[in-house]
Amino acid sequence: MKTLASTFLGLMLVAMATVVAIARADAAAGKEVFQGSDCQSCHYTQGPATEKSIDDQLAKKGPELWYAGSKFQGPWLQAWLQDPQPIRPMKFNSVMEPNPGGHPALSADQAGPVTDYLMSLTSDAVKAGTVKVKKKNLKGRLIFIKKMPCSGCHQFPTKKKFSGGLSGPSLVGAGQRLNPDWVLAYLQQPKVFKPVKMMPVFVGLLSDKDMKNVAAHVATFK
Amino acid sequence: MSRFFLMGLLMLILGPTATGVAQAADGEKLFQFYCAQCHGTEGKGDGPNVTGDFPVDPRNFTETAEMNKLSDADIRNVIIDGGPIADKSPMMPPWGKTLNDDEVEALVQHLRQLCNCTGKAG
Repeated sequence: MKTLASTFLGLMLVAMATVVAIARADAAAGKEVFQGSDCQSCHYTQGPATEKSIDDQLAKKGPELWYAGSKFQGPWLQAWLQDPQPIRPMKFNSVMEPNPGGHPALSADQAGPVTDYLMSLTSDAVKAGTVKVKKKNLKGRLIFIKKMPCSGCHQFPTKKKFSGGLSGPSLVGAGQRLNPDWVLAYLQQPKVFKPVKMMPVFVGLLSDKDMKNVAAHVATFK
Repeated sequence: MSRFFLMGLLMLILGPTATGVAQAADGEKLFQFYCAQCHGTEGKGDGPNVTGDFPVDPRNFTETAEMNKLSDADIRNVIIDGGPIADKSPMMPPWGKTLNDDEVEALVQHLRQLCNCTGKAG
């Protein structure tokens, strides 16, 4: 019996090591595709963030991806890379210019490894399992819509379709797109991820509990 | 020699003016980055966030008579603490944790340029 158990355990360990090795290999292949496709001309993958001024932020051509694995959900990212519809209503870093779209798409063969690569880029500031997501979070909803101006800049789903402002990234579909623990970390430690940004800093204005509720509410967005 | 003297004289005369322009440019830059998304690039209250769903009309800073009713302190307080401090909408965010004192002051001065007014004392 003991021999059987130890054999089983051994097989499990070998299987897990194989899975990890394959993931690493795919991430390495994805990095090659990422670099070969010139993605780095718009997205930087080396953290931490170093922007110190508005000029530094405006010099960036696209969203930073050095914490993509903490920010996004893998299945969403893999699908989006193959059919990259705009997330921001306005062009990146622009107040007045609508987003023209046209982000390059990857093939299915490329999207898998690139997703593995991007999901390997993580930030220690994001703690897994901190935000408890339920079907509804009324306290978070109240803060999002009434107490704070979140809806003034971010589109969000409503019964009629969606509502909200255009200057920030849309949060329609955020439940499938974003990791709720990253949303919380972004609210709690904005300077870690984006030191200079158009969104106000809410540290000291919202409690940790409020921020958790907002992150949990955003996670319900379809 | 006289050419150097003239250049020095010009620098002395233009120095303070040039500094003033730089400060105004900072206020303009801050405004375009943080405020224009709701108040519009020209401060007319018509930024891209003001869709049909937007629950209030962001202030039009070019309305001189309305802006003259506000003191610099009134404007400063709303920038720092948000709309609710002046019984206005929470759609105006509290920027006090985002901007430092110099940046808030540069924005106040920029709004005074937009309204072409000095506001009430206080």
